[in-house]
Amino acid sequence: MYVAISYDISEDKRRTKVHKILKSYGQWMQYSVFECDLTETQYAKLRSRLNKLIKPDQDSVRFYFLCACCYAKVERIGGEHVRDDSIFLV
Amino acid sequence: MGTIYITQDDAFIGKTDERLQVRSQKKTLLDVPMIKVDGVVVLGRATISPAALIELLERKIPLSFLTGTGRFLGRLEPPLTKNIFVRSAQWQAGENSPQAVHVVRGFIRGKLKNYRNTLMRAQRDASDPNSAAVAKLAEGIRRLEHAIAPINTTDTIDALRGLEGAGSAAYFGCFQHLLRAAGFSFTTRQKRPPTDPVNALLSFGYSLLRHDVESALNIVGFDPYLGYLHTQRYGRPSLALDVMEEFRPLVVDAMVLAAINRRSLTPTDFSTEPLSGAVSLSDDGRRTFLRLYEQKKQSQFKHPVMAKQCTYQEAFEIQARLLAKYLMGETDQYPPLVLK
Repeated sequence: MYVAISYDISEDKRRTKVHKILKSYGQWMQYSVFECDLTETQYAKLRSRLNKLIKPDQDSVRFYFLCACCYAKVERIGGEHVRDDSIFLV
Repeated sequence: MGTIYITQDDAFIGKTDERLQVRSQKKTLLDVPMIKVDGVVVLGRATISPAALIELLERKIPLSFLTGTGRFLGRLEPPLTKNIFVRSAQWQAGENSPQAVHVVRGFIRGKLKNYRNTLMRAQRDASDPNSAAVAKLAEGIRRLEHAIAPINTTDTIDALRGLEGAGSAAYFGCFQHLLRAAGFSFTTRQKRPPTDPVNALLSFGYSLLRHDVESALNIVGFDPYLGYLHTQRYGRPSLALDVMEEFRPLVVDAMVLAAINRRSLTPTDFSTEPLSGAVSLSDDGRRTFLRLYEQKKQSQFKHPVMAKQCTYQEAFEIQARLLAKYLMGETDQYPPLVLK
């Protein structure tokens, strides 16, 4: 499933931690916005990791799910390119 | 999901959080989530941190080491699966048992039929149907058909090996007529070391294919070292080589020919070693080749037996599962992958 994740976190240190976790699950597209292509298990794991870290009274994390046909309709102008996951050459 | 190919010499593979990082000279060259990785191939030299090593093993991501020119050195892999039934069926189908003969027939029929289809396509696409090249192709196809016809009535593995040899000779005998770019020629298949660009590309491609087929066999639960067409030899993954046969023309030969004929690679991409005459690819050429191989692997086609769309990458595993089903007696035939 395809998830767009945005977060709003007041404290710098905690925000950096959230950012680091999210980087392991998807791609950083804009400040506080990630796009992740995940399985159910991976999503559950990510949510539980974030859940343990953030303070719900100060921070917020939002998960927007895109269905398979909506994913193809995402338009992008400028900014970060979508990473090609089929091959990584170094 | 994709494979990481590391061609940067003396790179360092490390792990941060759940990501794999490749660094060299204090610069991070690559930073990808582990969940996006399904294989790591090191071409040349690289070091890997203990933490990354354990993480790869736990996630069952195979790590292969190849020399810079693509010769296979070895691989690190999680243990064989717990599916002992597949392995015991594999062992029971010993030398010259009816099952072994049946699967060897399958491998050879698959390979030779794919060879024939490649040649027939070249014959159809030829601009001048009366040229000498087309006559050679027709001759090759005839010899291949000669080798294919008796496969189903041949009962010993040695005789089947003979048919395979005759078929391969016929195919490589007219392989040069499949090349349409200036500066490339092919006379005969040369290995250890390959001494011309075409042979170098074929050998490199087969090394990469072996990495993928061996992984697929491991996933399904086979012991890759016990084969039927290829006999047991110390350190030789015979079953991987067996299952590879039908994929050689489909994956490697097809992409090598496409790379040459579409001029993705030119003679300037190669260099020759003075003493041994070994030919190898330049760094840029190698990157192009790896990209083309990966694209080929991810390209889709309709699997004739499963009747659904799949990529070649998935087909490796599908064929391994079909083989397991046959050896365990769940189906009465092993169907090799033959594509028109």
